[in-house]
Order: sequence, then C-alpha cells, then structure tokens
Amino acid sequence: MTEKEMTRLKLQATQCRLNVLRMLRASHHGHIGGAFSAMDIVTALYFYKMRLDPKRPDMENRDRFVLSAGHKCLCQYSALAERGYFPKEILDTYGSLDSKIPGHPDMHKLPGIEANTGALGHGLSIALGMALGQRLSRTGANVYVVMGDGELAEGSNWEAAAAAAHHKVENLVAFIDFNGLQISGRVQDVMDFTPIAGHFKAFGWNTMEINGNCMEEVVQALDSIPADASRPTAIVAHTIKAKGLSFGEGDVAYHFWNTTDELMDRAEQELQALAEQYRKAVEA
Amino acid sequence: MIGNKEDPRKVFGKAVSEIALGDDRIVILSADSGKSSGFGDFMKAAPERYFEFGIMEQAVVGVASGLATTGKIPVFCAIAPFVTARPYEMFRNDLGYMGQNVKIVGRNGGITYSDLGATHHSLDDFGIISMIPGVTILAPQDPNEIRSAVKAMLAHQGPVYMRIGNAAIPNLFEESPFVIGEGRQITSGEDVTILSTGTLTASVLKAAQRLEAAGIHADVIGLPTVWPLDEEKIVASARKTGKVVTVEEHYVHGGLGSFVATLLAERCPTPVCRLAIPHLYATSGPYDQILKKYGLDAEGIFQSVKQFLG
Repeated sequence: MTEKEMTRLKLQATQCRLNVLRMLRASHHGHIGGAFSAMDIVTALYFYKMRLDPKRPDMENRDRFVLSAGHKCLCQYSALAERGYFPKEILDTYGSLDSKIPGHPDMHKLPGIEANTGALGHGLSIALGMALGQRLSRTGANVYVVMGDGELAEGSNWEAAAAAAHHKVENLVAFIDFNGLQISGRVQDVMDFTPIAGHFKAFGWNTMEINGNCMEEVVQALDSIPADASRPTAIVAHTIKAKGLSFGEGDVAYHFWNTTDELMDRAEQELQALAEQYRKAVEA
Repeated sequence: MIGNKEDPRKVFGKAVSEIALGDDRIVILSADSGKSSGFGDFMKAAPERYFEFGIMEQAVVGVASGLATTGKIPVFCAIAPFVTARPYEMFRNDLGYMGQNVKIVGRNGGITYSDLGATHHSLDDFGIISMIPGVTILAPQDPNEIRSAVKAMLAHQGPVYMRIGNAAIPNLFEESPFVIGEGRQITSGEDVTILSTGTLTASVLKAAQRLEAAGIHADVIGLPTVWPLDEEKIVASARKTGKVVTVEEHYVHGGLGSFVATLLAERCPTPVCRLAIPHLYATSGPYDQILKKYGLDAEGIFQSVKQFLG
C-alpha cells in the first residue's frame, strides 16, 4: 500500500467519524465511545480488506462482517453509508421512529447488516457459523467479527472460541476492541480478562496485538493473517475510547454520549480540519 | 404398522438423515447429543456435514444461525430444556429475530426423562418458544407423524422447534403428508372436544374409547402443530360441543391449554378444562407412574373428562 492510499484510508475513517456526528445531530445521544474506538478497524475492513460489492450486498462469496458489540453500530452505519450501501440521508434518521438505523443493527432494515446483534456474547458464535458455512460452500470468503472487551465476560464467547479452534476455522478473524472501558469503569476493574490474547492463544487461536487506532498497524495485521493457519485469528486491538473526540478520549463518560449542539459543533470542526489535512495530502 | 412401538429419537434421526443424504444444504449440529438423537449413521456417511461441539448449547444455536445465513439448513437436536430454556436468548435473537431457517429439536421432552428429575424435564418449552415471533412449534403424536413432520419441517422456510419424547411410542396413524398448522380430526362427537398434542394422544384415544363406551361422544382433535394453532378447527369443534378439554405434557399454564383458552375467550367463549402438569417441579420416577400421578394416563384423562362434563 502506498503512503497516499494509507492517507486515503485515514481520510475515510475521519469521514466515517463525521458520519457518526451526523447521526448524533439527529438524536443527540448514542454510543459514541465504542464506535470511535473501533472506527479505524471497521474502516480498514470496509474500504481495504473485505471482498464486497455495495451494489450486490447479497453476493454469495462476499466477506462477512459481524458487529458482536452491536452498540457500536454507529461505526458500521457510517462505514456502510460512506461505502455506498445506502443514501446518507438515512443517517439523519438516527433515533427516530421506524428508523432503518436503530440503536443496535437490524439486518432486515438495511443492506450490508449481516446479523442482529446487541445482546452481547452472540456475535462470535454467529460468525463462526458463517465461517463454517462458507468453508462448506468453498466460497473462499472470510468472516470478520468485532467484539468489545467488556463483552468477553459473556461465557458464550468462550464456547465459540473453543469451537472455532477445535474445528480449525481459519477463515474467521475476531477483532477485540480493547479500549479498556465499560459502563462501570475500567474493564480490568469490572472483570479482568487480561491477558486477552493469552486467553485466545490458550484456546488455540492465532493471535496478534496491535494499536487499533493506528491505520498502518491495522492494515498490516489484516495482511499478515496466515492463509493456511488451520486456526482462527484473534487481533487484540488496543484502542482509545472515543478516539477522535478530543475532549472525550479515554473518558468512560463518553461510552454513551448525551450531547449538545455546541459540543457537536466543536467535535465536527476538529474532525473537519483533520479531514481537510488528509484530503490535501491525498490530492497533492 | 398401527400399534407397533418405535423409539421416537431413532425414527427422528433416520427421517432427517434420509433427507439430508440427498440434500447437502442440511447440516447436523451436536452438543454431545448427536448419537442419542439418531444421527450415528449420518455422522459416518457425511462427516463433513456433521459438527460436534460438545456441551455448549448457547454457542451452537448462534452457530446454527450463522450457518443458515449462508444457505445451510442446520438441524440441532438435544435434550429439550437444553435447546430451549438454556439458550433462550440465542433462540430469540439469533433464530427468531434474525428469521433464520434453523430446526431445533428438543428430545426427551416433557417429563419423558422421568427419573432424572426436574432439571431434565421440559414443561415450559411450548410457552417460552411461543413467545418468540415467527417460530413454528411441532409436537408429533406418533412415529409416523414424526416421519412426516420431519419432511414438513425441513421443507418449511423459517425457524422451527419440534419436541419429541424418549420412550418407545405406538403408531396411531398411517403415514400421511404433514401440513404445518393443521390439526388432525381423530374421532368425531358432539359431547366434548378433546384437544391433544404430542405423545399423550395415545392415552387420549384410550380415554376416548372408554368415554364412548360410557355414552360420551368425544370430538378428538390431535394438534401436532402447537403453534400456530389450527384456530378454525378448534373454534368449529368448540361451537359444536360447547365444552373443551386440552391434554398436554406441559405446565398447565403457558402451553396448549393457555393458547386454546385465549383463542376461545376471544372467538367463542367456551368452558375449558386444561389437563397438564401442575405448576411445580415435577417429581421423578418411572414415566408412566409420573403421568398417572398427575392424572395424565388414560384413566386420569377419562375421569377428568367425566368430571368436567358433570
């Protein structure tokens, strides 16, 4: 990947963050913290790595994306809109009656959503089933799942972790968005699941640890997944909660943000300035 | 052959396997439960479509959902409470809400795991699964009906929960096409309607014979589809007889009796007598003795109907 291509990805991640703010303009509340911490991962998947066609969202051999931590859905909606799955005007309906972009994703309402997540601890099992199905059908498709760090306390995840390794499901990749914070405080104080990579490794997974807000590291991790590992891959992505919201980064108060127009203006101005900087570099 | 007893689990497993061998969309999921569910031969014949997971019913329901999104038709059979009560949220969200074409089969349903006690009884499955929009609930009444229900279940698009038992049960009917949602008129009478589901229908038929000998003509309707109800048949029979008895191996509330009573209250107010297991943790012991204790053997049903009719 050229430097310019990398910068374009960063621009797209910034545009996606701006899309999140656009949704919050409509509702004045939402789960921004996790959406922003996972945004660079989600951008790299939708704009760089995954085999997909927004015009054919049901394409049989498409790679699948499952957002196990469904409350981070703002990041998925923003990427889908930016990628052209649906008109951006839909972003303005967040929080309204019958919106196609509810507070947790609904596959029946929007193209590109693969699973109805929200209750934590479901996504890895569903993704595992998708990966097994793709393997049986020999489509060559991969399945990517983004999990939260807090949801690792759900036991069903570890059922799926054991099964994925047991069945040698190498087309399954799990990102753990390790921003370290959940509603009640630090994940390690609430229920410590560190070392996260160590746990997955013990279950038989291929593991990596990266800075999940560094686009270079995300891309490199995606490109270094062994093709014939005979085991699933867990990428523990160290991230910052609310990354990109300068006054909210690393602050658990921004797990769910009840915002004001003034704060939104400030956030938007900062991200617009960053986007402009990337845009100039891309166009240079 | 009518009257011939067969093991429902073996009948079920064989029926699914025969279809699955000719349809590679069908995949069998096991939570350390495949062999006991009649899939011993299938796992050898098509090992690539037989997935063993060990004892992890929550993840297996999610995996089934994921497989179904890729066009597969997963069949997951294990002990009834472990595929209903335990993974309830996965059933609701991953199968129901996602609308996936998955077949969940609870075997050893009701109190057929009799002496293993209340942890292994399933007396709430009709109730809790019926709360999930879009799920069809089947409880075939004899081995032949299990065979035909399996065909209908696999041909049906959408999530299905089927309950089968454990002990060998007699064939009551010749095999005929199974239509989901359609009740079976077994006997015709004007004095009382008896609605039955699952394997208790064999005892209901014996009770009906005794009622007939006592001059009471029962309109017996078998309901191998517990949900959605065959509303028209039930209402028409209630209008004819004016008195309705329901019989099921389930808690007295929340199951078939509750569905029927609600339906009739709205469409054709009729006295209803619900014969079922009382709302408690059922005792353990031999299956036939537990049924007798709770009045669900032929004698108990006969006496209850007579008493209900006054």
